Amino acid sequence: MALLECQEVTKNFGGLMAVMNVSLQLEKGEIVGLIGANGAGKTTLFNLISGFYPPTNGSIRFEGDEIAGLKTHDICRKGLVRTFQIVRPFHNMTVWDNVMVGALFGVQKCKNVSRAKEEAMKVLEFTGLHEKKEIPAKGLTIADRKRLEVARSLATKPKLLLLDEVLAGLTSTETTEAMKLVRRIRDEMGLTIFMVEHVMKAVMGLSDRIVVLHNGEKIAEGNAEEVSKNPAVIEAYLGEKLHM
Amino acid sequence: MTTSRLGKYLSGLGLLGLVIFLCVIPFHSTDYIVSVLLDILTWIGLTESWIILSGFTGYISLGHSAFFGIGAYVMAISWLKLPYPLIILISAASSMALAFAIGFPVLRVRGPYFVILTLGLSEFAKYIFINYEVNVKGTVGRIMLGVPNIRTLYFSLLIIAIVTILCAYLIKRSRFGYGLFSIREDEDAAESLGIDTSIYKWLAFGISAFFPGAIGATMALRRTYIDPYSVFDPIVSFQIIVMAFFGGMGRLHGPVLGACILTLISEFLWARYPHYYLIILGVILVFIVKFMPSGILGIFELFGKAGKIVKFVRRK
Amino acid sequence: MGGIYALVAVGLNLIYGTMRLLNIAHGEIIMIGAYVAYWLFTAYGVSPFLSLLISSFVTIVIGLIICKVIFLPMIRSGKSEESIQSNSLLLFFAISIILTNVVILIWTADIRGYSYLTGVVQILNVPVMLNRLNAFLVACVICIVAYIFLQKTMLGKAIRALIQDRTAAKLVGINSDRLYLVSFMMAFGIAGLTGALLSMIYELSPFMGFPYTITAFVVIVLGGLGNVLGSLIAGFIFGFVETVGISVTSPGLQSIISYGVFIGVILYRPKGIFGKGL
Repeated sequence: MALLECQEVTKNFGGLMAVMNVSLQLEKGEIVGLIGANGAGKTTLFNLISGFYPPTNGSIRFEGDEIAGLKTHDICRKGLVRTFQIVRPFHNMTVWDNVMVGALFGVQKCKNVSRAKEEAMKVLEFTGLHEKKEIPAKGLTIADRKRLEVARSLATKPKLLLLDEVLAGLTSTETTEAMKLVRRIRDEMGLTIFMVEHVMKAVMGLSDRIVVLHNGEKIAEGNAEEVSKNPAVIEAYLGEKLHM
Repeated sequence: MTTSRLGKYLSGLGLLGLVIFLCVIPFHSTDYIVSVLLDILTWIGLTESWIILSGFTGYISLGHSAFFGIGAYVMAISWLKLPYPLIILISAASSMALAFAIGFPVLRVRGPYFVILTLGLSEFAKYIFINYEVNVKGTVGRIMLGVPNIRTLYFSLLIIAIVTILCAYLIKRSRFGYGLFSIREDEDAAESLGIDTSIYKWLAFGISAFFPGAIGATMALRRTYIDPYSVFDPIVSFQIIVMAFFGGMGRLHGPVLGACILTLISEFLWARYPHYYLIILGVILVFIVKFMPSGILGIFELFGKAGKIVKFVRRK
Repeated sequence: MGGIYALVAVGLNLIYGTMRLLNIAHGEIIMIGAYVAYWLFTAYGVSPFLSLLISSFVTIVIGLIICKVIFLPMIRSGKSEESIQSNSLLLFFAISIILTNVVILIWTADIRGYSYLTGVVQILNVPVMLNRLNAFLVACVICIVAYIFLQKTMLGKAIRALIQDRTAAKLVGINSDRLYLVSFMMAFGIAGLTGALLSMIYELSPFMGFPYTITAFVVIVLGGLGNVLGSLIAGFIFGFVETVGISVTSPGLQSIISYGVFIGVILYRPKGIFGKGL
């Protein structure tokens, strides 16, 4: 059974078809990339999957259960969590507290604060943020804030992690570090990852499979090599260079 | 014993000492002093309970006076029909029930709209009571005779204030509290991490309404005469906000500090120059919102945090 | 009455539309205008027509000071939109309380009033007091002037651009700060003028301002937030409906209905009859 299954998912914003009849499947343990030009519907699809608004049509199944129309917090409890394109840390809380919130309310729903603190500590060590745990989130660099966002999501002990342009705005070194982290998340923690990305080298390097959206529709799917040779994709990206 | 544990023991002891002091003092001082302390306790209770909603979730409410008024009215209506501690509980419960009843739609409104909505609701309640009193009862005010003496009221309020602070303290350290803080920092992010924001806000709203109900009931006894204009007065909400902002909402003792200082100032001014007092409050609020949004305690905390960041940078 | 509401709504809408700030002190500004006119008339015998201008001037200056000192620095500070809005609301609230109490200090809380133009005129078999007619006419004139200003002049168009899309307007070179100031001053000026008009008809009290603020808010939501023309029209309609409504139900219910509508409007946030939503 696929971990995540979208069937003919459509979202219509009063006349604007943001997402049209998109169907895809994610198997457990995959890293799948979602690419497409700006406005192709990627973030909308993420919003639909994570429950920010319901689809106009179509079904979204997670582990076999229909989640379309569920509230975001319920979806999170089932094991599906997302990060935001523009990071949204809890600015006035420390790094540790930020991650702790994830542990308190995610899948594991820690009942007491001290247990959540321990769980959070483990995630902090995994993501390399443990030295900065007492710093308020607003004092972090952008790369660290992204890392914090990922850490906080990891603390909810999800099965599927949706990463929304987590590499945007990072320097070359930071990007390599981040890519290592993403791989570790899948390899060591056993998560499935669905990532929206514009940084082509990362998408090509990390993804087992890539899905391409254009104007709200899925126009291609396959591994990195297949997708980069697909004429429809090349046409959509006319002028873009695809790094291998 | 580490220093922080020692520190905690000492402050715990200090608090106990303070409470004992407050219990003993009414027997050794004049009525006037007792009444001033009573006022301070009233404001402490009102402000701390307000913090449970507005400080923790960031939903600033200008409607707290409505719950105060409801508490006062429940007391006025039930006076002499039931023992007064019971009435106080019923008043508090009624306030809380009302908050729960209207909570869901009201809390869906965000930011500044929530603020004016609460103001509108408070005024709405006021006019409903005015209308009812005038049309159904004939007169606007209500009188209560044979009220308990001031020292009894003082102790009632002391208990209420302590319970309020205790409640706020327990919430702050609990899982529920962290949920509320997350809502304040970023409601959508909180939702995406598994926090049922609607329920949490609703709970905070209801809990925070419990205490002004009790306080309103007690104060009704103190004033012996109430009318809708005085108990549903938006100036009450205004004072709460200024005290909370002035003292600083980051810590629980912030509002206590704010309540104490501003009540004392009002003591000096209210008798002769109530309007100066309000103008000063207004100016203070403007000043604080612009320059010191974390209040007085916030300034101290700023030094503390700056120190931590400096230490961290040095280590690197 | 519709004319008055239209004026009030326009003033509130100007500030909201351009700066996205809700001025809940608007009613108090009106009140100030009224008191200035009152004072000028009773102390110096100044014709209320002249005091229309003087009141406006006074309130414009107040607006200038408040805007420069308090609000512009906030907008420049780059905080999040919502926190600026919330903070400004609190600031306006504080200002309204300060103004109310200052007025109490100067003029005491007693109700005051003066008589002017109390002759009655028959229009279509309905007796109309001259001062109300006068207020209505002035309100109409101002509304028309405001409308023309916004549609035809460069400044007016710039303001409309700013209301529609702040970022785009800045990109095409519109100096947003200066326009904020101008809108602010205009709004305050209109409010002051409204107050002077009101002083001719009604009694004054330091607490008279707030109900106008509430009504203004309802009107601008109904007319479309940020849509100045919409609020003009909605103001007139609302005034009409309200007057009819009052004569049908008892006046005691007026406040209840007024706040009830206010609450309903916020809770359900309609997109207004003419314009964009909240």
